[in-house]
Amino acid sequence: MTEAAVEVRDLVVRYGDFTAVDHVTVSVNPGEIFGFLGANGAGKTTTIRVLCGLLTPTSGDVRVGGASFADGERAIKSKVGYMSQKFTLYNDLTVEENLNFIADLRKLDRPTYLKRRQELFDFISFDQSPTSLVQDLSGGIKQQVSLAAALLHDPQIVFLDEPTAGVAPASRDRFWHLIRQLAEKGKTVFVTTHHLDEAEQCGRIALMREGKIIATDSPDGLKKTFFPTPVYEFEPKQPLPYAELGSLQNHEAFAYFEPYGLRFHAALRRPETWDEVRPQFENKFNITSIKPSLEDVFIRAVENGL
Amino acid sequence: MTFPFVWSRAMAVAKKEVFHILRDPFTLALALGLPVMMVIVYGVAIDFNIENVALAVSDSDQTQTSRRLVDTFDSSHYFLVHHAVSPAAASQDVVAERAKAALIIPPRFEKDLLDGRGGSAQILLDGADSSVVGPVSGYVSGIQTIASKRIGNFSPTPPYELRSRFLFNPELNSRWFVIPGLTVVVMAILSILLTSLTIAREWENGSMELLLSTPVQPLEIIVGKLTPYAALGIIAQAFVYGIARTIFGVPFVGNLAVLALGCGLCLATYLAQGIFISVTARNQQVAMQMAMLSGMLPTNLLSGFIFPVASMPLFFRILTVIFPARWFIAIARGTFLKGSSLLQLGGPFLALTLLCSGMMLAATRRFKRDLEP
Repeated sequence: MTEAAVEVRDLVVRYGDFTAVDHVTVSVNPGEIFGFLGANGAGKTTTIRVLCGLLTPTSGDVRVGGASFADGERAIKSKVGYMSQKFTLYNDLTVEENLNFIADLRKLDRPTYLKRRQELFDFISFDQSPTSLVQDLSGGIKQQVSLAAALLHDPQIVFLDEPTAGVAPASRDRFWHLIRQLAEKGKTVFVTTHHLDEAEQCGRIALMREGKIIATDSPDGLKKTFFPTPVYEFEPKQPLPYAELGSLQNHEAFAYFEPYGLRFHAALRRPETWDEVRPQFENKFNITSIKPSLEDVFIRAVENGL
Repeated sequence: MTFPFVWSRAMAVAKKEVFHILRDPFTLALALGLPVMMVIVYGVAIDFNIENVALAVSDSDQTQTSRRLVDTFDSSHYFLVHHAVSPAAASQDVVAERAKAALIIPPRFEKDLLDGRGGSAQILLDGADSSVVGPVSGYVSGIQTIASKRIGNFSPTPPYELRSRFLFNPELNSRWFVIPGLTVVVMAILSILLTSLTIAREWENGSMELLLSTPVQPLEIIVGKLTPYAALGIIAQAFVYGIARTIFGVPFVGNLAVLALGCGLCLATYLAQGIFISVTARNQQVAMQMAMLSGMLPTNLLSGFIFPVASMPLFFRILTVIFPARWFIAIARGTFLKGSSLLQLGGPFLALTLLCSGMMLAATRRFKRDLEP
């Protein structure tokens, strides 16, 4: 078995009385796309900041690319690439100046840097002038240049903290295409995101709530864990009054009943009784059997706190 | 495990900072335009010498003696005399601010003098404008001395005479006094304001995360960030010095190296203060206000630049001790006008050194605590 790219055991981060990360244990292999999913403040960013060497953990073992905090956080920093959720390039500098600056900070020698830069420009299909100011680029392109900046020193492990926040859907697709390519090249990619359709593309996902990982599995595995019984989609034949929604959500037949766009997703408390229960809803809803989505998992696990 | 300080990284930060400065018209304009503007405002527009004070004269005596007294006021270039019809009109002129002072000579002024009873005339001063009262009452007593000599026949000659000679600035030219101090004001604005903005800006737009995710060290960031601003500060200083010497003809009798040393110390203190603010504020708006409040305000008001430290209330006099400007102004004036040596300026230099190292220590510690994981 190959050595894990990232190995975390019992990671704890406290700010005073507040425990931001509470005994997190996770192991990620090279070439994996690993997602962190959780509400705001669940501890995703804090965990990632520790793994990038930006934050010293209160306790716990952390090994990133073979380096640990005992080797100094700069040993970790040299192993990883990090793209934070805020846009981090300098708007008043050109693309070239931004990348030069990072290359200087990472002490890349000139030939290596220039070769690497060209590779990355090819990788992100950057077709504009390297001397254009970052502020003149579109949001999607900026994001890709940001990714290139994080990859400049050819790290084996990349952390992307909400990389697609505020980016148009077409650019998001393109960005995920790049992420998959990275994983195919054997790089380990950590991603946090609020877009659950994006999370479906992760190999495995850690669901976080209040600083704890409540489940780690593939998207399908998570769906099976949280919805072991069939899930149905209820499509109202006529718009549903708000009061009626409340009574449905509290209906004894359902263990789960949540809006999903204009429709509803439901799971039963006792699946064996479905044939008896079903007729009373069929006059108001078109009911189909579906696979649960990650959004269902997220609502059930993170928001409803199951 | 410790990592060595790497110059090339610090210089990479410095280079990037130069790009920022070059692309930001506000910074450039502030750095180059401000010294010019300050020198013009303080050197040309503001004249602390009080001249041409409007004086309303009511001469009810109308004798040779009284006219000679009025003439003495008139011929000194301090007063601009105009005649009022009555004592009441003269004092009304002061009330209506047509005059800053009034001279009222009673009837029988000459006769009283001749009779040996001693003549008396009245001076009314506009006490609402305290900046005028001090100098003008000084002029009045000077003129009185001259006048009693000119009217000497009638009054006993005083047995002694006080003659003042002003050392170091014989003409009491306020520009000589103000412009050396101006260097510190320019320095305060440039260094504190610009540096306090520079790191706050990194926090604000999230690029601090990018910096921190690389192996760059806090000290490398500080050195890199400060280098361009230190250079700007030094250029501005040289600029003010040049203008002071050439355009305003301020003499420089001291040792230039001593001035430069003081300048460097003061600059370093201000840069450290800027960094400290920047790290604490993390936001350009707040940083700017803190820079104004903690830097520019005391530099202007509590340094002796305009208001002499010695005439401040005790509390403020003690408070000035913590402002580098107070010490640097002492050094600047000492070297420009008096030619004081390093030894004579030992006190200010010691104080500046202490302030500088204290501020540096505080800034670096604060910065490290914030940045190191």
